[in-house]
Amino acid sequence: MNTAGGKRERAFELRISSDPANLAAARKAVESFALDCALGQRASHDLGLCLNEVLANIMRHAYGGRTDRPIVITAEPGERELTVRVRDWGNGIDPTTIRHEPYNPLTPGGVGLICLTELLDRIIYTPQPDGMLATMVKKRKG
Amino acid sequence: MAEPTDNTELVHGMRRQGDAVVASLVGEIDLHNSPKVRAALLDALQREKPQRLILNLQGVPYMDSSAIAVLVESLQKIRRTGGKIYLTNLQPRVKGLLEIARLDAIFVLADSEEEALSKQGEGWE
Repeated sequence: MNTAGGKRERAFELRISSDPANLAAARKAVESFALDCALGQRASHDLGLCLNEVLANIMRHAYGGRTDRPIVITAEPGERELTVRVRDWGNGIDPTTIRHEPYNPLTPGGVGLICLTELLDRIIYTPQPDGMLATMVKKRKG
Repeated sequence: MAEPTDNTELVHGMRRQGDAVVASLVGEIDLHNSPKVRAALLDALQREKPQRLILNLQGVPYMDSSAIAVLVESLQKIRRTGGKIYLTNLQPRVKGLLEIARLDAIFVLADSEEEALSKQGEGWE
């Protein structure tokens, strides 16, 4: 895992491989950056969980379980929000456009998507010629 | 580069207690290690066929949707024989995720293993 950025630079970039073993460290790095950007603990945790869900979807579906493919995570603080972008070079399918059965708590699956829609202020998937860019926006409260 | 994590001790102290199987989960659970939790829980349900599965989550500060899917799959399995799953000692982030997933009313939640063992007939039917 390669990282750049920090409190003073107020810019963040993290390059990981598509190995689920990287999930926890990536999530914690973004949560820590979000806290440094004064996002607040709860919002930082929400953002971390959503990053986890976006990354897990890339690993399972965009890259079909391959663990050696690249993922680049960047974060950029704004005046009122933190924007996190996740770039992959996978199948380019926007997971929010896939038809799903209505969410049923008694059936496994669907919770990741609920997290993205309920915990973020905005999630945008932008198809790229060679993959996908996911943009997550979380506003500061107050 | 991945940080190595020890996945061998995610499920602790699994034991039979009356009609229940009781166990503690320990550690952050995500897509990396949830398959091991799944294997352990489904194996215990298959082997013991308990009426109740009581999971102490005191040592689980974080879980993601893959861990939730394991819990729901375990619930599906135990329900086939009329059983229930009790979750105890929930940490704030885990409780929050269960609420978002609307699962807080489907599992039986308890403050402690003892409380769970003393509960009968509550939760989703």
